[in-house]
Amino acid sequence: MTSVRPKLKPETPKAITAWETATGKSVWMTEAGTWSDDVSKAAAFTGEIAEARLGEALKQEGQVTDPYFMEVTESGGITGRETIRETIRATGPTVAYGASA
Amino acid sequence: MYRYDEFDARIVKDRVEQFRGQVNRRLSGELLEDEFKPLRLQNGVYLQLHAYMLRVAIPYGQLNGAKLRRLAEVSTKYDRGYGHFTTRQNIQYNWVGLKGIPDALNDLAEVEMHAIQTSGNCIRNVTSDHFAGAAADEVMDPRPWCEIIRQWSTFHPEFAFLPRKFKFAVTAAAADRAAIAVHDIGLRIVKRGEAVGFEVYVGGGQGRTPLLAVLVNDFVPEAELLDYLEAIMRVYNRHGRRDNKYKARIKILVQELGPEEFTRQVEAEYAAQHPHEKIDLPQAEIDRIHAYFAPPAFDAEDGTAAFEAAKAAEPDFAQWAEVNLHPHKQAGHASVTVSLKPIGGAAGDATDRQMEIVAGLAERYAYDDIRVSHAQNLVLPHVPVKHLYAVWQALDAAGLATPNESLITDLIVCPGLDYCNLANARSIPVGQAVQKVFADPKYQREIGRLHINISGCINACGHHHVGHIGILGVDRKGEEFYQISLGGRADEKAAIGAIAGPALKGEDVPGAVKRIVDTYMSLRTSPDELFIDTLERVGADPFKEALYAAA
Repeated sequence: MTSVRPKLKPETPKAITAWETATGKSVWMTEAGTWSDDVSKAAAFTGEIAEARLGEALKQEGQVTDPYFMEVTESGGITGRETIRETIRATGPTVAYGASA
Repeated sequence: MYRYDEFDARIVKDRVEQFRGQVNRRLSGELLEDEFKPLRLQNGVYLQLHAYMLRVAIPYGQLNGAKLRRLAEVSTKYDRGYGHFTTRQNIQYNWVGLKGIPDALNDLAEVEMHAIQTSGNCIRNVTSDHFAGAAADEVMDPRPWCEIIRQWSTFHPEFAFLPRKFKFAVTAAAADRAAIAVHDIGLRIVKRGEAVGFEVYVGGGQGRTPLLAVLVNDFVPEAELLDYLEAIMRVYNRHGRRDNKYKARIKILVQELGPEEFTRQVEAEYAAQHPHEKIDLPQAEIDRIHAYFAPPAFDAEDGTAAFEAAKAAEPDFAQWAEVNLHPHKQAGHASVTVSLKPIGGAAGDATDRQMEIVAGLAERYAYDDIRVSHAQNLVLPHVPVKHLYAVWQALDAAGLATPNESLITDLIVCPGLDYCNLANARSIPVGQAVQKVFADPKYQREIGRLHINISGCINACGHHHVGHIGILGVDRKGEEFYQISLGGRADEKAAIGAIAGPALKGEDVPGAVKRIVDTYMSLRTSPDELFIDTLERVGADPFKEALYAAA
């Protein structure tokens, strides 16, 4: 399954993001099709390739959960109307927490 | 406090092992997320923005030192050294890994805690007055009845798959500190002569359709309570909508049928119960549960002189005592609010160290009793006055003595978009920015009681509908905006706030709140007239005018 997120046009560059099943960490698909918890390693896909890559991700259920398209620039930077949410997923809460708060 | 019997202990342990198996199958890929999700939700496990979130039940907010210390240990061992206390009197861990959760649940089971029914379409944690058993204004301690409802509703097979989640709140005081009007079922314990009974309110709730509960029966005798609740649950289970998640709560059914027809159906269902299916709670069982909640052996020593001397010597202590103490039914005692709302902090968060300190204070000075309040603070319900200074010193050193109980910086704030997968906007930074405007304790006391509640989405976990000033985060094409509402209240005069006008940008919210407060200060007839009373007296117009004056 995938989360309900905004529909993106085929030509819009998109990364594939998900949660690592064992830890719940945010992860992004790299150019090589592996998963990284570093958003700067996220690859940008478009069109049928993007759909095919998401299809692959959906088959890796034991490893990742709920993969979905996230809008990015051509160079892979977070953009679009979900920028705040995706930036927080990528970099953590915007407020201090725990003993550092 | 209720203690597990062998059956309780067994079902909780069995549940941990069952979930361990399910987690293992998920990790091996044998279970897909679609299959696993309903199973994890039944064990309080959500998937949030950064990690899994584990919600642990704290029945009616009741803890003791051992339990709170274990909650601290779990946060150290399986999370990042802190936890978040919620408006449902529960605790949430924000960073748990799936693999560790069965072990965490096993650790919790050792101190009679679990995460069962903290999510899913079932009867959730029963909440109550955080001063239960201590408050001077209660007719009796509501906790035994919370416990009876907890036992009845735990794994109740008929109510395991309701149309939607279902929340109970119980109070026994004239002043409603449990927000019973905004729960699916709200119960107020009342006495007629010596007979104990319940006012039963049904169909309240917040979320996208905020509604106040309606009174369906003004006196259900105690022995009949569970049968009567079953009648309500059956009407809901049969007729509550399952076709539309947004119309599935009992409040929609009550609204669609109308209070009279809904009540008629409940009464008909109740009358149709066959004698042999009646629970007819035996008095011996009622008495057995009550015995677990017997008051502690209160210290008879009068510590007033030392307390007064300490206040005279230490202005910060005096200020805290003025704000964070609540009258106790027992002479020489007070209830202490342990503020989890330091200026610039995240409302309801406590570190492992802070939890350990409160646990230790409860054990040493406060009859080993601790509560979580629905306003996201901790409470030491029974503290001998002679120990207040020592308790304050320890709390102050741990950053837990902010003198702001029910004042403007004591905000209710949901985790918002910093953590939550459902949120549309951030809540915590907005709360922090509002707090900073009103940080001066003297200024807060001048303003007086004023509740600001913030939610990061329409699901209203931050209770924005019932804040005197409510703030709701909304998404406008990828930008965070905040809608202000005025006039909500969660107490015995419960009301849903009305939206004041167009939403504001986050950076404009603190200034807007300041203008609302300035307006109140200029309009109040005396410092004794609370914000909400001034608002109700003069209407919202002057406040709206001020709110949008410079925006």
